[in-house]
Amino acid sequence: MNFSVIKEIVNENDSIFTIRFDSVMVAKPGQFLMVWVPGVKEVPMSLSSIGDDFAITFKVFGESTKKLASMKKGERMFYRGPYGNPYPEPEGKTAYVAGGTGLASLLPLIRKYKGDVYTGARTRNDLFLLDDDFRIATEDGSLGFRGNVVDLFVKEEDEYDTVYVCGPEAMMRSLLDRMHREKHGNVYFSLERLMKCGIGICDSCSVNGYRVCKEGTVFTYEQLKKMDEFGVYRRSGSGKIELIAKVQ
Amino acid sequence: MVSISTSVGDIRLSNPVMLASGILDETSGSMKRALESGAAIAVTKSIGSSERKGYPTPVVSVIATGMLNAVGLANPGIDSFSEEFSNFPVKEKVAVSIFGKDTEEFLYLARRVEGLGFKILELNLSCPHVAGVGSEIGQDPDLVEDIIRELKSRTNLQIWAKLTPSITNIVTIAKAAEKADAYVLINTVKATGVDIYARQFLLSNKIGGYSGPGIKPIALRAVYDVRKESEKDIIGVGGINDWNDAVEFFLLGASAVQVGTGLYYRDYGIYDNINAGIARYLEDEGFSSLDDIIGLMVKS
Repeated sequence: MNFSVIKEIVNENDSIFTIRFDSVMVAKPGQFLMVWVPGVKEVPMSLSSIGDDFAITFKVFGESTKKLASMKKGERMFYRGPYGNPYPEPEGKTAYVAGGTGLASLLPLIRKYKGDVYTGARTRNDLFLLDDDFRIATEDGSLGFRGNVVDLFVKEEDEYDTVYVCGPEAMMRSLLDRMHREKHGNVYFSLERLMKCGIGICDSCSVNGYRVCKEGTVFTYEQLKKMDEFGVYRRSGSGKIELIAKVQ
Repeated sequence: MVSISTSVGDIRLSNPVMLASGILDETSGSMKRALESGAAIAVTKSIGSSERKGYPTPVVSVIATGMLNAVGLANPGIDSFSEEFSNFPVKEKVAVSIFGKDTEEFLYLARRVEGLGFKILELNLSCPHVAGVGSEIGQDPDLVEDIIRELKSRTNLQIWAKLTPSITNIVTIAKAAEKADAYVLINTVKATGVDIYARQFLLSNKIGGYSGPGIKPIALRAVYDVRKESEKDIIGVGGINDWNDAVEFFLLGASAVQVGTGLYYRDYGIYDNINAGIARYLEDEGFSSLDDIIGLMVKS
C-alpha cells in the first residue's frame, strides 16, 4: 500500500470532488487506483490527471467517497496501483464521449491529445470540469443538446477516426449498438465494475470471463461486441447476477 | 510422449492441474475460461445455502511472500448458483465447493448440487475467516466424520475434503475424513498483516487466510504427513506457481494439484506451464508416466 499527501481538494460541483496529490508513480491515461479509506473501504478510482500533477475525480456516492471528500490538505491518501491497461494512443481525428463521471477517466487523454469532447449528464448541475468547446447534452435540456450524449454523438460519428468512450455501462452498450461505422478499429470503451481485488483474481468484475481490472478497463469495439453480458448483466457483491437497467 | 494423466477417487483426469476454489471461479465465464486454458477440473467458489455479500474491501492484500485474503465466503447462494450453472457445458469438469454450519446444511447443498448433474463435491472444511463454518467445522473430528458419512451414504457424489492447516495435527482430521474420496491439502493458513503508516489491519476482517509461495512448505508437510498415514488420494494445493512446485507435491504423495494464487503470478498460462513442465521433467528423468513419481519419496 502506498500513500500520498493531499495537496488540494476541489469541489467541482455539488457532489463531484477532485483530490490533487504528488506521487512518483508511473501511470498512463485510463489507469486506475484502488484508493483505501482506512476504516471504511477500498474503491477503484480513475486517475483524472497524470504527470506533474496527479488527481482523482469522483462523485460522492457512499461512505468511502464521502470520507474522501471530507479529507483535508496535508492528510494522507492511501492507495495501490496504478492498475489496468491504458487507452491506446489516438490516430487521426479523435472524439471523446463521456457519460457522467466517465469524463474523469478521459481527462488525462483529453489534455494530451486534441479532439472533440462530447459530455452528458442528467442536468446542468451534474456537469463538471467543462471547457468552452465541449459539446454538451443534458437529459432535461438545461444546457446544450436535450437528450443523452449517445444521441448527440451518433449523428457526428462518421467524422472521427478514433473514439474513446467512458460512462455508465448501459450508456456505453447503447452507443456500441448504435454505432454504424464500417471500420471500428480505433474505438475504445473503458468499463467500470464492482471490483474487490483490482489485480485479476477475485472474479468480481468479470464480463464473459474477461476481467475489467486486468484485461480492461479499456476494451475495443470488437471485444465488446462478443460479450453478451456487457451492458446487460452485472454482479452484486455476492457474485449474484443482476440486470442492468437499459437506456431509454 | 509420457503420460501426465492421473486419477483422484473415481475420476480419471487427462492432466493433474486444477483451478482451486476461491480464485477466478465466481462467474461461469471464468470457469469456462479456466477449463479452456488447460485446467483438468475447475472448483467453484464455495457456495452456501443463502446469498452472502462477504466482507467490505479491502479483502485482498499482496505481501512479499504471497497474499492475504478475507473475502468472507461471498457467494450468490445455491439458488442463484443453480440458475447460472444449470446449463454449464462441461459439468463433469467442475467440482462444486460448498460450506455449511452442520451436517444438515451440507447434505441439503450436496443434494442440490447432485440434482444439477455435477459429480464432484469439494467440502470447505477450512475457510479460516468466517465464524461457525469452514475451519471451525473442520477442527471438529466428530462433526467432519458425521458430515462425510452422511454425504457418502446419501449421495453418489465424489467427495473431496479440503482441510485446514491451522490445527495441531492435520492427520487427526484426515482420519476423521477417511470416508471421503480424496483429501484436498491445504486451504489458506490463518494469518494477518498490518499497514504501519495507516496503522490499520491490511484486511477489513483483520484476520484472513495466507496463500502463495510462502505457504508451499506448510502444504508439502501436510501432504507428506497425511500420505504416511493414508493411501487415499491427495490433491495438493498451496503456493504452486510452476511445474517444479507441482513435482514436489507429486513426489510427496499428491495425485493432482490445484492452483489459486498462482494465477496472480502466472495468469491463465499457468496450466500449460505446469503440464508441459511435468511432461518434460518425467521424460528427462526417465519416467514413463506421472504415476511413477506419485508418492515416490514416501513409499518404503
